[in-house]
Amino acid sequence: MNSKINRELSELVQEKVISQEVSQNISQYYAAKTLVAAKGPNKLFAIFGVLGSLLVGLGLILILAHNWDDFSRATKTIWAFIPMIIGQIAVGYCIFKKKSAAWKESAATFLFFAIGSSIALVSQIYNIAGSMPSFLLSWIILAAPLIYLLRSHAATVLHLIFITAYACNVGYFDNASPWLYIPLFAWVIPHYYVQLKNQPNHNLTGLFHWLLPVSVIISLGGFVVGNENTGFLMYVVFFGLLYNLGKLPFFTHKKMRVNGYLLLGSVGTIFVLMLASFSWIWDGYSPIAVDIQEALVTVVLALVAIGVLVYLFQKKRLMPFNLFQYAFLIFGAIYFFKFTGSEIPMILTNLLLLALGVFAIAIGARKNRFSILNYGLLIITVLVACRFFDSDISFVLRGLLFVAIGAGFFATNYWMFKKQQKQQDQQLKITSHE
Amino acid sequence: MNKIMITIGFVVMLLAQWFVPGQMIFEQEDVLGTGTAYKFRTQPIDPNDPFRGKFIVLNYEMNQVTHADSLLTWRDPIYVYIANDSLGYAKATHASSTLLDTDQDYVMATVNSNYNGTLHFDLPFNKHFMNEDKAYDAERAVWDINRNRDSVPSVCYGRVFVKEGVAILDDVFIDDISIQKYVEQEQKE
Repeated sequence: MNSKINRELSELVQEKVISQEVSQNISQYYAAKTLVAAKGPNKLFAIFGVLGSLLVGLGLILILAHNWDDFSRATKTIWAFIPMIIGQIAVGYCIFKKKSAAWKESAATFLFFAIGSSIALVSQIYNIAGSMPSFLLSWIILAAPLIYLLRSHAATVLHLIFITAYACNVGYFDNASPWLYIPLFAWVIPHYYVQLKNQPNHNLTGLFHWLLPVSVIISLGGFVVGNENTGFLMYVVFFGLLYNLGKLPFFTHKKMRVNGYLLLGSVGTIFVLMLASFSWIWDGYSPIAVDIQEALVTVVLALVAIGVLVYLFQKKRLMPFNLFQYAFLIFGAIYFFKFTGSEIPMILTNLLLLALGVFAIAIGARKNRFSILNYGLLIITVLVACRFFDSDISFVLRGLLFVAIGAGFFATNYWMFKKQQKQQDQQLKITSHE
Repeated sequence: MNKIMITIGFVVMLLAQWFVPGQMIFEQEDVLGTGTAYKFRTQPIDPNDPFRGKFIVLNYEMNQVTHADSLLTWRDPIYVYIANDSLGYAKATHASSTLLDTDQDYVMATVNSNYNGTLHFDLPFNKHFMNEDKAYDAERAVWDINRNRDSVPSVCYGRVFVKEGVAILDDVFIDDISIQKYVEQEQKE
């Protein structure tokens, strides 16, 4: 048992806060807990198993990529299958002998890379020129069943990384739209759902709350064909969707750092709005260049985001009012002012950002959270700094503005500090009365 | 998931994992065994691929045709019909967006440009994977040959097996010596 707990317990007994009996009960509870943890599956084994398989798999790919041209075509072909056979036997052994998670994760990781090395080597032997996306696609599809056959988290993480790489290859390098990314992404959703239901507080579930949205954030740009301007709206809508997903009842009592949806949604919204607050973003816009595909993706994302808002309304979770949840709708409205030129949408975007900053400060004050309060102040600071680049405000005024914001930082933080102290004092008074 | 479902899923996954590379091998072996060999004159350059290793990219000299559909545009897939010229190298006779009713061999290609009655195309079998220590030297060797073309009458070509539109680059030759052997000789000297 932890020696720190022992020390604390003896101190509490000495100070007569708890009795000797209670102290013994607590000691026994922790001793039993440590014993159970020691008997259970060792997480470290799983982590090192996966790391080992990952390195061996990647090493194999590199060794085969050397191109051993002294061997005959037949010998090389046999070598293309040997790692895959080893991986398949290991996976079969795990399934039918019901091995531990460490075994399953390691076998899944190894087979994942063995599949890639097999296709790569056959392509190399026969000079099959196939493009990188088609190579990645075959690989991803052939390895996809591992997620469900072994209930493997490592295979899920690798799947997410590789489908993101696929979407980037198609969307950014080949200048096409990675439509197949959508079903490939949907493939992991049942696994994620089961994880949410069975292990909502597990560290890996927290990791998936980050990995899934990050994968979509990276890949979404691949669907922007010509007009970058529509891309801004698409991203703001998507970040709005993420933010509202982060407000779902599931996340209510979770730690903030686990809620990737809320954090990515909030920071993403602010980041894209900061870009859109520059006038040159709106200058090059041509209303005729709107692409049907981009409009379609944006509308679908907006409908889903509104659907989540309606769900939150039904569950009575929209109170107190939070501007961040509606920022995507407001920006959608601002976007239509683009027909009037670059001035009005630019000014409105700046006002929206200012309002969001003020709102973050208000939320921070209400929840007594320094992090949120300072996040709001940071939004306003960055906004003002951005305006320094493209406005003709006099130096004196700019200087005064910065001094005012700096003073604001001090004042709000000091005010909150005092507020928290006051509350602590009150609590102390209540407990001493009791 | 019950045990039968998992077993079926596992077997299907195994079969698919064998089928994809197996089918690739089968198709290539079929064309190499029963297809017709053509020589495509070329110039190689040397990039690399993170998974499949080093390769040389071949810029084929046969990259245009005059008799083609004027409506074809960039990236359109086309059938390029080929024959041997008087020196025994492949030449494109005509191209079409649809399969023609003829016994003549053809290869699949994509349109690069179509201007003034001349259609330029890209051939897909343009990667020859090589040993990592030889790819760069292979590129240098061919570069030297092309630079000294007036004095040394060397020629570089890819041997491509063609059958029903499937084309497989079997090997690259410099003066009828396999590029692998050619580079090995050069490295010894």
